[in-house]
Amino acid sequence: MNAATIRLSRLAALAVSALMLTGCATMSVGSYLARGLDLHAYHTFDWGPPDALSTGDPRLDNNRFFDERVRSQAERMLDARGFQRVTSGAPDLLIHYHVNISQDVHVSHRDRGDRERGGFDRDPYVYDAGTLVIDLVDPRTETLVWRGWATGSMEGAIDDQAWMDARIDEAVTRILERLPRAR
Amino acid sequence: MTRRKQMEIVLTAALAAASCATTMTVGSHVERGLDFSTYRTFDWGPADALPAGDPRLTRNPFFNDHVQGAMETQLAARGLALSTTGTPDLLIHYHANISERIDVNHLDRRYGYCAVDDCPVDTIRYEAGTLVVDIVDARSNTLVWRGWAQNAVGDMLDDPKAMRRIIVQAVARMLERFPRTLSSERRAGHGRRTP
Repeated sequence: MNAATIRLSRLAALAVSALMLTGCATMSVGSYLARGLDLHAYHTFDWGPPDALSTGDPRLDNNRFFDERVRSQAERMLDARGFQRVTSGAPDLLIHYHVNISQDVHVSHRDRGDRERGGFDRDPYVYDAGTLVIDLVDPRTETLVWRGWATGSMEGAIDDQAWMDARIDEAVTRILERLPRAR
Repeated sequence: MTRRKQMEIVLTAALAAASCATTMTVGSHVERGLDFSTYRTFDWGPADALPAGDPRLTRNPFFNDHVQGAMETQLAARGLALSTTGTPDLLIHYHANISERIDVNHLDRRYGYCAVDDCPVDTIRYEAGTLVVDIVDARSNTLVWRGWAQNAVGDMLDDPKAMRRIIVQAVARMLERFPRTLSSERRAGHGRRTP
């Protein structure tokens, strides 16, 4: 991993911490395309070096079941968006992802009309918030071309493999749906 | 403050402390479609270098002894023996972690101590311990099963008897999830529940 790649994965981690602040119980998704860049110049991709940062949850650190699910769903989505994976030679794009789990407190703002008043609801409550960031990097210029992210509740989902798989698929699909199609 | 109110507060606090101290959660991930009945022997893999998050657990021989003893008992009950040949089928790694977590309690509202909308909530800060056990196929060097148990640590680290009891329970409960036949494909895919 060279210095520029390390800088980029640190940036992904920073983005995760910033997004955590806006985390909520429902999944929210966003993306960003580098200004002035034309994604149509890119056709092929491969995985960049895996990120060595902790996920913040010992259940997910070095967890190949989690990692393989993210990768296979991302590959399926990129293929559907017209990007081709190359494992030899020079890909146009390198893909990185970073995931973070941290506790968050959900507080609704009844006074602002977010929900109805009254009732014996569970508010505020604490839950495990998860954030997934997917980065596409141009390896020639070492610049971030596109970034997509999803943040939502993983409460209870990590302990149940089928449920975790479904949450990963949902997050990866909704993130990469925002990626413009390759031509 | 009335005596009754004081009693309620004490009761609520006691219930709150008990609720997070006694609920252990376990979970596991498995390589699906793998025949676990072909595995017969295991051995301990090299200790990991990950930080435990608490100096009381770092290189703690009592903790390690209890975990290894409990694992050996549970695996023996499932027909897996400690390898004597030096070429085990499975290698076992484990990792313990302690981190501070918070919980919010609504007992006062739920049990009718408070009926208005702006009931106070109790925020509890506690130390959550996680024990992660990784079982690796020794030949392919791939992780085939990971199990974990999470519990509030409480005074466990200062009380060897309590530590042993919690470790034995944690290992027994997580290994109930360890497959001894063909691992299930049944739960793969679309069994999502909405939180």
